[in-house]
Amino acid sequence: MLLKINDIKQKALIDINSVKDMAKLDVFRIKYLARKGLVADLFDDLKNIETTERPAIGKSLNELRNIIQTLFDEKKKFIEALTHQQKQILDLTLPGRPKWVGTQHPITRTLEEIKNIFFRMGFSEAFGPEIEDDYHNFEALNFPKDHPARDMQDTFFIDEKILLRTHTSPVQIRVMENHQPPVRIIAPGRVYRNEAVSARSYCLFHQVEGLYVDVGVTFSELKGTLVAFAKQFYGSEIKYRFRPSFFPFTEPSAEMDITCFICKGKGCRICKNTGWLEILGCGMVDPGVYKYVGYDPEKYTGYAFGMGIERITMLRYGIDDIRILFENDIRFLQQF
Amino acid sequence: MRVSLNWLKEYIDIPVSLDELANSLTMVGLEVESIERLGEKYKNFLIGQVLEVNAHPKADKLTICKVNVGKEICPIVCGAPNVRTGQFVAVGKEGAIIPRNQHDPEGKPFVLSRVKIRGIESQGMICSEYELDLGEDKEGILVLDPTSEVGIPLADYLGLNDTVLEIGITPNRPDAMSHLGIAREIGAILNRDFRIPVTNLKESKRSIGDFVSVLIKDFQNCPRYTGRLIFNIKIEPSPKWLQNRLTSVGIRPINNIVDVTNYVLMECGHPLHAFDYDKLTGQSIIIRSAEKNETFTTLDHKPRVLREDTLLICDSKFPIAIAGVMGGLNSEISQSTVNVFLESAYFDPQSIRRTSKHFGISTDASQRFERGADPNITEWAVNRASYLIQQIAGGEVLIGSIDVYPKKINTKEVELRIDKLNELLGINLTTESVSSYLNKIFIKPKDAKSTSDLNKSIIFEIPTFRPDVEREIDLIEEVARLYGYDNIETKARSNIQFPEDPPEKDFQNEIRQFFIGNGFFEVVSNSMQKIDNATISEEKIVKISNPISADMAILRTSLLPSILGVIQTNISHGSKNIRFFEIGKVYCKVNSDRYDGAINGFYEEDRIILAISGQALPIGWVEKPRFIDIYDLKGEVEALFRKIFLDNMKFIPYSNTNALSEMGLHIEIKGKYAGLVGKVSKDLLNKFDIDQDVYFAEMNIESLTKNFKVEQKFSPLSIYPSVMRDIAIIIDENISTDDVEKQIKECGSTYLRKVELFDVYVGEQIGPNNKSRTFALEFMAEDHTMKQKEVDQIMQKIMKDLEIKFNAIIRKQEMSD
Ligand SMILES: [Zn+2]
Repeated sequence: MLLKINDIKQKALIDINSVKDMAKLDVFRIKYLARKGLVADLFDDLKNIETTERPAIGKSLNELRNIIQTLFDEKKKFIEALTHQQKQILDLTLPGRPKWVGTQHPITRTLEEIKNIFFRMGFSEAFGPEIEDDYHNFEALNFPKDHPARDMQDTFFIDEKILLRTHTSPVQIRVMENHQPPVRIIAPGRVYRNEAVSARSYCLFHQVEGLYVDVGVTFSELKGTLVAFAKQFYGSEIKYRFRPSFFPFTEPSAEMDITCFICKGKGCRICKNTGWLEILGCGMVDPGVYKYVGYDPEKYTGYAFGMGIERITMLRYGIDDIRILFENDIRFLQQF
Repeated sequence: MRVSLNWLKEYIDIPVSLDELANSLTMVGLEVESIERLGEKYKNFLIGQVLEVNAHPKADKLTICKVNVGKEICPIVCGAPNVRTGQFVAVGKEGAIIPRNQHDPEGKPFVLSRVKIRGIESQGMICSEYELDLGEDKEGILVLDPTSEVGIPLADYLGLNDTVLEIGITPNRPDAMSHLGIAREIGAILNRDFRIPVTNLKESKRSIGDFVSVLIKDFQNCPRYTGRLIFNIKIEPSPKWLQNRLTSVGIRPINNIVDVTNYVLMECGHPLHAFDYDKLTGQSIIIRSAEKNETFTTLDHKPRVLREDTLLICDSKFPIAIAGVMGGLNSEISQSTVNVFLESAYFDPQSIRRTSKHFGISTDASQRFERGADPNITEWAVNRASYLIQQIAGGEVLIGSIDVYPKKINTKEVELRIDKLNELLGINLTTESVSSYLNKIFIKPKDAKSTSDLNKSIIFEIPTFRPDVEREIDLIEEVARLYGYDNIETKARSNIQFPEDPPEKDFQNEIRQFFIGNGFFEVVSNSMQKIDNATISEEKIVKISNPISADMAILRTSLLPSILGVIQTNISHGSKNIRFFEIGKVYCKVNSDRYDGAINGFYEEDRIILAISGQALPIGWVEKPRFIDIYDLKGEVEALFRKIFLDNMKFIPYSNTNALSEMGLHIEIKGKYAGLVGKVSKDLLNKFDIDQDVYFAEMNIESLTKNFKVEQKFSPLSIYPSVMRDIAIIIDENISTDDVEKQIKECGSTYLRKVELFDVYVGEQIGPNNKSRTFALEFMAEDHTMKQKEVDQIMQKIMKDLEIKFNAIIRKQEMSD
């Protein structure tokens, strides 16, 4: 009996060596470890052995089974590892399953940031139509008929009285027509200019308009609000200046410049060697405008401002051709 | 406007640096946009005289010249055939930038260095007209005026030792559209006086009244007309100083008479016009409105059909000029002109503006008249011009001037309250200092004694050269800009009123961020489109009456054409896998203002469009590539609906193809049409030259945001387990999955929590026109663990219901876990 045990042990040791894959391993298992396998047969034979010898032989048999089981387990592990390696399933240097990655258009991204700064300052949002009438776009904003100020904004017309708004300022009029002061709004939106399309100008762009009318609003406060905005948007280290300008619907009118962040004020192509970049137009609401909306100019004062989103976006990201914003080339969009 | 620094200095001393000057002009509202140093281009170019011309020992076509450039005599190798001893020439020295290279096909500039040409050192270059960018002649060197001074910079010879400021003049400041006007502003900034040039002309014995009379028929549009007659002048090119002045500010010299009128225009800002006296019919000038359909040929040789509101200057028979805009060909100053009638008038700004707009003519004169000229400068201006003509062209200035000015335009009076000024600006100025600021720009108090600080309100007199100052607010602005905006304190308001209503949720941005997160690129595209791309009936399209081009003649009626344009661009650039969305407006005309949300009969609608094309998955090593299909797109749309907890929505397939799509679904939300999902039609793709399938969904934003669940109520999580069942049914393929799902939900009682389709099969085994669909059902109770028997009962009910309702065959019903 012991000889038989030893014989099977030797055979198993030889057989396991020739096992190279899972199929062969299964053949090995059936031959030795299955319910009808060689080891089981030996256990069956045990009942024919003298009672006195049984414990010793039983022990040897258990040992045999353990050895073969170990051989089997180790071989299984080895083959599995080998298979994994061959299939490279665990090569962690491989890239993961790719995902589409989207981006926000730089125009709406800039707009969103500007809006949020003014929201934090207590401004609400207002809207108006892009297809506007002459009254709201010009007349009520103090642009007289036959006045050269209208040349500042080349206009697309739908008919004699209807046009595509040239700025978001008509929203000021629409808001004041429907609300008594205090009025504190921003009005973002799309505007149109009938200009030849070039690297510097496009036939449409976006603006954010602001308006605050109340008792006792001052020019000093206009400066305070816009400086606070500029520092939040461009960084607290910027230098700024307000210089006199002209808009028919504000007086005094100003344009706000900040130090060119490309050359740090030394002068470069972008700032036309002035060291300054114009970022917005603003001013105190002209009393003439109050007459159109029925506010008492003796009682209320206010300020208004407006800025071009494309211009700010282009300065911010160093884009030198406005047309690329509307071309929407994926190679461009991917960069934001 | 171009302003010459040398010219300015004739009227005012400027003891500050150029940068300082530019900055302070900008800070009073005359923005210096750029500074051009005219001579800069010709740095290192000198005037030289050729002393000797010798043959080059090694090259037939070259010569070795000895050229005197003042400080030295240089050997210069020259290739020009026309070089001769004694000539005055332009010499580029080491370091000079030759503006145009004759040997470069594009004529690019190059920097001159000391070189040896065929073994001979050349210490400079004698330049051609082409190389100097002064003309197109490349054949030989430029030979200069023999009276030139040797050794002076070429810039000086060309009159270019000047600096020009480009100043942006806002439309409210006609007073600053001249050198004297700018000098006046500089005077205010620097606290200096400026000098008014001389007009001390010599008049002859003959009187103007014997030779010409003026009749104004339209005083409304021509309140003042002044003129002078000058006889026996000699037409010649202007002297160099005058030509240089005009060239520096961008005006082309023509002849001495025309040049003087332009010079005076740029000097004092008042437009003048010179007529050839001998070409006038009769001895009278008549100012009248045009008759209907009257015709007239302007100086630019264009025949013009006039309107009744066009103001004309006429002789006794014919029009000779469109007043304030452009003169006529029939009375133009020419080589043969001997006697000149000089006009200096004041015209109504609106009249000039209408005429200039109507004819599309904008001249230096019309620009000044339409902004508002000074009615009280006409006489000075005509005298100044007559004086200069006499100096330059000789001639006899007849005694007296004609001046028809029946109703003098006086200074305006405007009251200014000091408190109002301080309140509006947020500063604290005294009456005295306010007056002193205004005094600098010649705005003076009516009563000189009224400026004491005790006086809180002063009446000021506004000179007629400031037509823009009419109201108190205009005076406040003048004080503010002279006080300096930068000196006004920058302070935030301490008692801000915040809005009382809670802020509105920005749904658009939430939708935007959702799609960005799902791997879409946001695009922003042009809302102006070709008329061919309209998707609605002709009469509803919003057409632009003056479009830039036919490609942008209407406002879009759908976002699809815009985004197809974007897709086309990307495919042509090699990006074929497309995942785009855009939030934007579409536009149409509607019948009445009663149409909800329409303004002036126009309606604007916010929409979102999704468009996908190309591969469904990014290129990777794991998944097999496959092309996008309609289910990819529908899945994206459904994901949005889940995200915003939209219920009551329905997809309705439509089979008939239309212009946009060849198959698709309508989206209904709460029974209202809200958009569509589909595959872009082949016709439309062909229009855009796109040869790959594009799927799109276009939806009305409002119907999404209206049904956005803002405040989702929390429902407690059940502590009892759920029971899962699968059910496979065979029914007619025309019955929609939506309907089947709805039916299952209806009889599934409150215990049925979820129904999900997870398998679809079509094949011979289940018979033609049939479709097998397998759903997973989840049951759960909130108050007890559901028993199998309980679920069995519900399942029986569902199956029976489906059998009756849809004639369904139940394939199998399985428990799953
Ligand atoms: Zn810069």
